[in-house]
Amino acid sequence: MNAIEVDNLRRIYRPVMGIFRRKVKEIVAVDDISFYVKPGELFGILGPNGAGKTTTVKILVTILIPTSGSARIQGFDVVREAEKVRPRIGFILGGERGLYWRLSGVDNLRYFASLYHVDPGISKSRIPYLMELVGLEDRGKEKVEGYSRGMKQRLHIARALLHDPDILFLDEPSIGLDPIGAREVREVVRNLQAEKKTILLTTHYMFEADALCQRIAVINHGKIVALDTPEALKEVVKDLHIIEVEVFGIPSEVIERLQAKGFIENLAVENVEQRQVLLIQTARGSEAVPDILAILNGLRVGKISVREPTLEDAYVRLVGNKGE
Amino acid sequence: MASIRPFYLTKYLRVIASTFEMTFRQTVKDAFILFAVLFQPLIIAMLALWMLKDKGGQYIIFVVIGSGMTGLWSSLLFISGNGITVERWMGTLESLVAAPTPIQVVVIGKNLANVLQSLGSMVVSYILVSFIFGYPLSIAQPWLFLISLIITVVSFVCFGIIIASLFILNPDVQRWQNGLEFPVYILCGFLFPIALLPGWTTPLSYLLTPYWAALALHASAQGTGTIANISFAWGVMLGYSILYLFLSKRLFRVILKKARVDATLSMH
Repeated sequence: MNAIEVDNLRRIYRPVMGIFRRKVKEIVAVDDISFYVKPGELFGILGPNGAGKTTTVKILVTILIPTSGSARIQGFDVVREAEKVRPRIGFILGGERGLYWRLSGVDNLRYFASLYHVDPGISKSRIPYLMELVGLEDRGKEKVEGYSRGMKQRLHIARALLHDPDILFLDEPSIGLDPIGAREVREVVRNLQAEKKTILLTTHYMFEADALCQRIAVINHGKIVALDTPEALKEVVKDLHIIEVEVFGIPSEVIERLQAKGFIENLAVENVEQRQVLLIQTARGSEAVPDILAILNGLRVGKISVREPTLEDAYVRLVGNKGE
Repeated sequence: MASIRPFYLTKYLRVIASTFEMTFRQTVKDAFILFAVLFQPLIIAMLALWMLKDKGGQYIIFVVIGSGMTGLWSSLLFISGNGITVERWMGTLESLVAAPTPIQVVVIGKNLANVLQSLGSMVVSYILVSFIFGYPLSIAQPWLFLISLIITVVSFVCFGIIIASLFILNPDVQRWQNGLEFPVYILCGFLFPIALLPGWTTPLSYLLTPYWAALALHASAQGTGTIANISFAWGVMLGYSILYLFLSKRLFRVILKKARVDATLSMH
């Protein structure tokens, strides 16, 4: 039996707009997605902001009801059998909220342990163990309001593990963390993977997905656009090369002219301080450089490099944010 | 709730105890709670004392109990009433709903902390009257008073679950909070007997559990009631409590389903 099964899941939000003339707008957050996660697997959902990652996780952890479709955790339906699903899962939703800031880290864990019916004798030893696991053993008695964002995120992970669940949902666990904090969180996730926990992780960091996940579903506008191992996903761009061109103050007309060129498969623009970095995917490799420079004629051009594609490039191609 | 097995009962009692402790520790220094529980009843007690001082005798203990009950009601209305909404603001409601414990058990623990904290209103009024104003005070029927107090706590905790659930179900009801404060003081006879009100208001008073609490506490403190009419008030309070628990189970089922459909468990 699969740990997680999702069939044709769809979720529509209907926010009400306006005060006098009230209009209901329909937003399709999750659009007919299906996937499964095997026991002990670390499965990633990768996608840009607003792609439907958090909505999917919220449905799976029983705090949202899907508009249609179904999802099962260890065979239990997340809508009809939510009370059987809840003791079997642990979850964190990205961000700092969701903790009692006026209480200490340890007091937060003690409280959630009681909500999950963890025997007081067990929680007495489990809480110090978890605080150590997430690197908060020296700060446990301090109020959460004094914690950094990374510390709160790690406390969330400890909270999710209190009842030693088989399945974990980690929604953007490293969002907003500094590089060291993000690395520490990834280390915790690796340790959990070593304990054979089934983990569903959402992220929009390619490196994180590549480093941690065994399989990845790339999601965009609520739909799964690709689902495979990181290596197989990279195959999507195996025939392409990536040309990185550093330019200063590139006008939008020039970007449009580049996009119109048939030899450019995808173009992404990254703003880095005063300059822009063009990430051009092309099958022609370094041969395309003179043609690109011809279009950029008159602009101040910095470094140019040609490299092999990464998962990020596969993601750019799959998500199709040409020119964004 | 009647169908809970002993195995769950122990676990739920543990959740109630830990929620009680957690709520108490979070709210004990809260300025709004200190105002609702201590200062507002104190002001009401002083006003009532000035107005009723010529009546003397048992009216003084009536003021102490009555002003204490105003603190109890304000606390229930504003603090217990907002209990779930505050969890939503803090982003903890999703974690509470997704935990294996029914949310009404958490609400019971929160209400118990709030109600017991607000009993401080009576203590403050008592200190004001006996030590500052120098009136001699005694409880006429202490055992009946104590039992009345315990049943009052139970009935207020259960009434608070209904209030909290109605406030989540319809945020417009929450806007009436200020408007609901004083009518209940009056309708429930906290500071003067309801016999002074027009006759048509009496059935409304009977529908409110704080009225029966005020009746039992006033009568046992003043020694004006018989065991029969005080125990009748206890029975009504306990009856209402069972009704509230039964209703809350259904109300929360509807509310949580609606919140999971409308995606309103968290702020966006």
